[in-house]
Amino acid sequence: MSEPPKEPIKYVDADVHLPYHYVAGDHRARYLRALKDKKILGSKCAKTGKVFVPPIINSPESFAPADELVEVADRGVVTTFCVVNIPVIGREIELPYVAASVALDGADISIFALIQECKPADVRMGMRVEAVWKPDNERQGDHEDIRYFRPTGEPDAPMESFIHRL
Amino acid sequence: MSNITSLRNVAVVGFAQAPIVARDEHHTAQEMLFPQVRRALADCGVERSAIDYQVAGSSDYIDGRPFGFVAALDVMGAWPPTQDLHLEMDAAFAAYYAWVRMQAGECDTAIVCGYGKTSEGEPRRLLNLQLDPYYHAAIGLDGLSTAALQASAYMARTGANDRDLAEIAARNRAAGARHPEAQLRTPATADELQRTPWAVEPLRQGYVPPIGESAVCLVLAAEGKAERMCDRPVWIQGIDHRTEMQTLGARDLFRSAGAKLAADKALAMAGLRSARDADVIELSAATPAEELILCEAVGLDARAARPAINPSGGPLVGHPLMLTGLMRMGEVFHQLAGRADGRAVAGAKRGIAHATSGHCLQQNLFVVLGSERRWT
Repeated sequence: MSEPPKEPIKYVDADVHLPYHYVAGDHRARYLRALKDKKILGSKCAKTGKVFVPPIINSPESFAPADELVEVADRGVVTTFCVVNIPVIGREIELPYVAASVALDGADISIFALIQECKPADVRMGMRVEAVWKPDNERQGDHEDIRYFRPTGEPDAPMESFIHRL
Repeated sequence: MSNITSLRNVAVVGFAQAPIVARDEHHTAQEMLFPQVRRALADCGVERSAIDYQVAGSSDYIDGRPFGFVAALDVMGAWPPTQDLHLEMDAAFAAYYAWVRMQAGECDTAIVCGYGKTSEGEPRRLLNLQLDPYYHAAIGLDGLSTAALQASAYMARTGANDRDLAEIAARNRAAGARHPEAQLRTPATADELQRTPWAVEPLRQGYVPPIGESAVCLVLAAEGKAERMCDRPVWIQGIDHRTEMQTLGARDLFRSAGAKLAADKALAMAGLRSARDADVIELSAATPAEELILCEAVGLDARAARPAINPSGGPLVGHPLMLTGLMRMGEVFHQLAGRADGRAVAGAKRGIAHATSGHCLQQNLFVVLGSERRWT
């Protein structure tokens, strides 16, 4: 057996490429399609009546099915938020920006949303906000159809009205 | 070596399965699972709150997301906060884990779930990535080619030929035609299958399964609860899992030492001398060569009428990868519980279910099931 090579091969590159083509599922597909019409849909728990946005097929809490789709408003209240100062992978967005949980009117859980058209320091729990949609001919039926949420100027919502919808 | 003389009697009391399809265009993996969990519990006459423990087997690489398995929590029922386990393996191994926890007295009832939409990614690519990245993955081996290597080695050793494979495949296709949830539901003769082109020689396209997707939920319950959840509980009498080496080239591919040992241990735990004492056996054989190798490992003639081999049609008629082994357990349950309409093995009181994982039958799990309790 001869000597091992003086210059061993130290590295092997393995490029892994795994493409995925996801099924949206009927609930999600209807939700995405409705965004094109400026409608936001949720699904309603058959047992408790809680409304989940975006729609899911069952309540993770009660375990009952949530087959019924209902429309919720495109406005609601900031339940909690944070001010992001570091860049995010895969998105081009001006720093700092506000990422918030927004409980839409009619929904029992919050969605995640960008808050703009105000100073980050002005954002607070209970602040009333409304969706800013892409123009009619630009909406595709995906999450970017809502560009962001902005303050409406209405009085803040009282904490009791959203504390269970964080 | 354990000298277990008495274990808890644990039974399979329910099993629900979605049809195996090439692609369900309307439901995500979790949305496919939810109705099966609901149905399995409803068939047992219990609410989710009656279940102490939940386990699942699936692959994040099939889901396409690291920790993707957590998405199933909400459709398995995770409120109030629950004990849960996920295995990156066939869901049958998760059933074994639940059984072990029941032996420890930590739970009396469990649901075992399997799910995954193989259609959303490229399973053949995944099975390539599962191999050693330096020597094996780099040359393009995948699940089909490693299975072909094993088939070739077995045929060289035993003299088994193309016709032998065709006849086993034909038997499975005939059985699949009687199974309402199989993906391949048309029978095919050995002649027809022998005329299919090579997939990877010596395996013809007619000898390898379509990779499909489905969702399953199996319910386990210990003695004391099992009797209230099922009119004919199917008791686990023996169970064992063995793995072989990872280095593919170091293994004897022409036989399955791991399957033999796991089967011997499971049969011994069940108090049986041989697999011939069973009425039905469901093997997770993805090719007819694997079926022959497994039959040899457990001491069965692949052509014998009893035990009936793969009355479900086995993986050849539907192979959703991470669910296949649990489906074998589910089939044995249906057979022994009198719920296998249209394909019932008459008078079946004892059955064996097999699951595998890894290339070339690397890991093997055997479960011996019966209509009677093993331990008193």
